[in-house]
Amino acid sequence: MSANHDTHAAATPSVHELAVLKSGSAMKIAAALGLLGMIATGAGIASAPHETMISYLWAFAFWVGISLGGLFLVMIFNAAGARWTIVLRRAMETMAAPLPLFALLFIPILVNAKQLYSWMTPSSLSPELTKLMPAKQFWLNTNGFTIRAVVYFIMFIAVQQLLYSWSLKQDSEGSAALTRKQRSFSAGILPFMAIAFSVAAVDWLMTLEPGFSSTIFGVYYFAGSFLGAVSFLALASALARGTSGAHAALMQKDHWHNLGKLMLAFTAFWAYIAFSQFLLIWIANLPDEIPWFISRTTGPWKPIFWMLVVGHFFIPFFTLLSRDLKMVPGKLALVAAWILVSGMLDTYWLIVPAFHDAPSFHWTMITAFLGIGGLAISLALFRASGRYGVPVGDPYLDDSLRYSQP
Amino acid sequence: MSTVAIAEVRAKALKARAELEPTPWIAPVKDQPKHDDSNINKSLLSYIWKDTDQGWLKMLGLTSAGVGLLTFAIIVTVVKGIGMWGNNKTVGWGWGITNFVWWIGIGHAGTLISAILLLFQQKWRTSINRFAEAMTLFAVVCAGLYPILHTGRPWLAIYWLFPYPNTMWIWPNFKSPLMWDVFAVSTYLTTSLLFWYLGLIPDVASLRDASVGTLRRKIYGVLALGWTGSARAWNHYKIAYLLLAGIATPLVLSVHTIVSFDFAVAVIPGWHTTIFPPYFVAGAVFSGFAMVCTLMLPARKILGIEHVITPRHIELMCKVMLLTGMIVTYGYVMEHFASFYSANPYEYFAFYNRRAGPMNHIFFLMVFCNCITPHLFWTKWGRTNLWAVWVASIFINIGMWCERFVIFVISLHRDFLPSSWVAFHPTWVDISLYVGTICLFLTLMLLFVRFLPAVAVSEIKELRLEMEHAEHAAHEAETATMAAASGGVPPAAHAAPISGKEG
Repeated sequence: MSANHDTHAAATPSVHELAVLKSGSAMKIAAALGLLGMIATGAGIASAPHETMISYLWAFAFWVGISLGGLFLVMIFNAAGARWTIVLRRAMETMAAPLPLFALLFIPILVNAKQLYSWMTPSSLSPELTKLMPAKQFWLNTNGFTIRAVVYFIMFIAVQQLLYSWSLKQDSEGSAALTRKQRSFSAGILPFMAIAFSVAAVDWLMTLEPGFSSTIFGVYYFAGSFLGAVSFLALASALARGTSGAHAALMQKDHWHNLGKLMLAFTAFWAYIAFSQFLLIWIANLPDEIPWFISRTTGPWKPIFWMLVVGHFFIPFFTLLSRDLKMVPGKLALVAAWILVSGMLDTYWLIVPAFHDAPSFHWTMITAFLGIGGLAISLALFRASGRYGVPVGDPYLDDSLRYSQP
Repeated sequence: MSTVAIAEVRAKALKARAELEPTPWIAPVKDQPKHDDSNINKSLLSYIWKDTDQGWLKMLGLTSAGVGLLTFAIIVTVVKGIGMWGNNKTVGWGWGITNFVWWIGIGHAGTLISAILLLFQQKWRTSINRFAEAMTLFAVVCAGLYPILHTGRPWLAIYWLFPYPNTMWIWPNFKSPLMWDVFAVSTYLTTSLLFWYLGLIPDVASLRDASVGTLRRKIYGVLALGWTGSARAWNHYKIAYLLLAGIATPLVLSVHTIVSFDFAVAVIPGWHTTIFPPYFVAGAVFSGFAMVCTLMLPARKILGIEHVITPRHIELMCKVMLLTGMIVTYGYVMEHFASFYSANPYEYFAFYNRRAGPMNHIFFLMVFCNCITPHLFWTKWGRTNLWAVWVASIFINIGMWCERFVIFVISLHRDFLPSSWVAFHPTWVDISLYVGTICLFLTLMLLFVRFLPAVAVSEIKELRLEMEHAEHAAHEAETATMAAASGGVPPAAHAAPISGKEG
């Protein structure tokens, strides 16, 4: 990294020097960890299905959020016609590349859904909920749940594949038509994807407590996932700096700085959404809503709640206010890792209190986390290998490479 | 091995870039081959020196008459009391709160443009920020009238609204969002005023330097605060501007968030829903941009500033309206979904009453204006036909007013107790106050465009330089790529080979 703007030009590696990415040891390690994790998780499902499925849903929600967050990054920057992000676009597309795998990984949730969603076994519900169930059945029914999940994944995969294929095609064609296609498709599909994402959040996470409803819930899960995706991008870019052909070699100080600014902004956005949901439910204290927060903010869950307040907002927010820190990839990567860990805790806090009165740990949390994450990362790296680390045919690549903030 | 392949595709991509490149932010003007500082100054400031236009005077006369009506309605309200409004025992908050929220929302475009778009490095904000910021200020002034009047005895409002204890040491309720509103709106007004004025200083100095009469020179001279345009002054100016942008950014979100809390913290079905904060903010930006379009489309023509507020600017504003309109629609959909999903009969009825109650025509007008109209902006025609944009922007203004009416009044008029259900009718005082504030707003806007530059002239000059530099850099890169494509070595390549490169 160049120390200041004067030496920029001399130290800037040229895009003409890039070679295609090769599949490396990272991919093999991730694949091995993923396979081992999945086998162990399979054993977990056989021996302790309930606990294992909780772990599995937690790991799934965390990783699919990041992958979808990557897809939203691609769509948003395409739709906005952003230029500085072009150097990062292939990396974002790579983050979204494992989405077809996530559709497969959702099958265990569908098969074992009764372990997670109490409304699927009406006899287990409280008398109050049993009374409400007829009115809720239009949404809370197993067929609907399955069909909707299929629809979400068809949408996610189709959008991901289309955008990825156009972007790859542009690597050799360099045409304006492909840029136009990516831009208009991204803009047009974004509203549908936003609805699919938030309704998926309602289906997969909110209905864990069938009595609870919050209209901001989808936005909350999106805010956390999107922040996770930006942080993952920063972390992965920092790790890829030494890799031959990777985009990170072309990133300038200002690209890192902007990634840091995005992390800062979405840390604040997450906190804003989280606070809005908390304040409104806490202050109104209505019997429909408040139990969700009572079980998550009092008793044994109280420390986790405060860890989120401090760890998911105050620490990253005040750390990221530093301008110098955001320009140093190593330091930015540390904060990104911290945010990702906080995001894991956030997902844990969303899911587990539906089942346990106190924070609990089961060994399958590790195996499910490594299993899903390992497989997803290895597939992403596999799909990226043999291709350029940046979209070399993008008309605005040069603009992105010489981006410097005013 | 791949070097040549990349160079070839880069050459193709550069041709594509030339094809994609949109029109410049500052459009060329007839008889002027090239913009420079002096002709930008002339084209953007000269209308201030012209003699007062008859049309302007007529419009000012009309809107001033409306301000007279406003004054009369205020006097009636104060002398006779809130009973002169349409509010009743069930609908305690009627047009007053509807208008308050509508006006506050309109102000949001200015803050978004000045603060968030600045941080996003969006260059197109430069041409429209001054105008929108002025709108913010005047809209907040109009908004502020309603709660102050609703206290009934406005001369005592300071004791009731501000945390200033009376002789009995009674404090306002700090747990009330109405209290937070006082802080939010007054902070908003202060920051917006500072932002607007700070941006004005260099331009007012330009006016001072170019003014002919002594009186004018003195007035603009005082307003310019002794601006010299030295490098040191510019340096301080830039730092202050960026800091204010940073301070104003949370305000874009916080003001309307807190306005939404006025309702959402309550347990009234239709008011209490967690999506309110972001959905109110999006609605505010939506209506704000609509109002910017409504006023700016005629203004750019009349003031002759079409070369800096180009069709591309208008297209972008349309896209912002499209986005925020869809976010608002998302809010409606989620609310109605939750009214079914929650299986709460009161929640269900509140939304059923919007769709099928006695005032459902206002609900459907809202859906038409806010959810359907913005989809016009998917088409290039919809974004570039100025009449279409103008009419759509007025629809959106109407729709956003209806939205507030639907949320506030329709949620209240049929409460938990059917025997207290009432209809709501505005009185002539309600209507006069509303029309009066619109006229007050327009009067202030007319005075603003007459005496102060409606476009941030110094920023346009800076933008012109930036555009020149960017063009230069693009040209250099193009030359290098073309050289590489034709077999030569790109200049950057021998300077610093990339570390991870093989062989």
